[in-house]
Amino acid sequence: MAKRFDYRQAIELAKVFKKHNVKYLFIGKSGAIILGYPDTTQDVDIFPEKTPENCKKIVSALLELKFPLTKTEQEEILKGKDFVQIRTGPFDIDLVFAPDGIESFNDAISRSVEVEGLPVCSINDIIKSKEAAKRVRDKESLPRLKAFRDWLLKR
Amino acid sequence: MKLRKDLTNTFVCDFESAARRSLKERLNYSFIHTYKPVLDDPPYFRSFRTISEYRRWAEKKLPAWLGYGKKI
Repeated sequence: MAKRFDYRQAIELAKVFKKHNVKYLFIGKSGAIILGYPDTTQDVDIFPEKTPENCKKIVSALLELKFPLTKTEQEEILKGKDFVQIRTGPFDIDLVFAPDGIESFNDAISRSVEVEGLPVCSINDIIKSKEAAKRVRDKESLPRLKAFRDWLLKR
Repeated sequence: MKLRKDLTNTFVCDFESAARRSLKERLNYSFIHTYKPVLDDPPYFRSFRTISEYRRWAEKKLPAWLGYGKKI
């Protein structure tokens, strides 16, 4: 059953991920919203660095955040899958280890920004990723997202 | 694709309005839930070896109107 993500949970996630030294970025529409983009979304998209070490830290962090991951589910994250969707926890989360349109985590983090302790992909990377995904839902939202990028860069 | 000026102006009003709200307000109001067939049904944990595999699954399994495919 899907649960709503809110500010308190965002801060808690950032605190626990930092405690476990997880390397990650917010991406997708949730990332854009953190950057100031006015829109709605249903789940949190996280772009973590895909290394065995980081995956172990993610599992530890998610368990501390009270995600009831079974041993099998933990193994799936540790196996190095590119996309993991979790709907059993205190909020819905997608772990997107290889987002379309972004060459590497290191490249993304070099362009990332931090908003009140929340590390976020740059708006350009969020847009690039949505363009590369070529989904109908992304094509519909891209013009407004690009207008936001242009406005944000002028500020 | 170039946006119509009136649309751009409307968007800019939205962006400026959002900029006056705190991160806390924006996050608390932005995350909403509406039921999405298949995605919000069991199993509640899914993993895919590659993003392409996920995209193929989404295109095959999710209703087209959710917009996860390449066309409606």
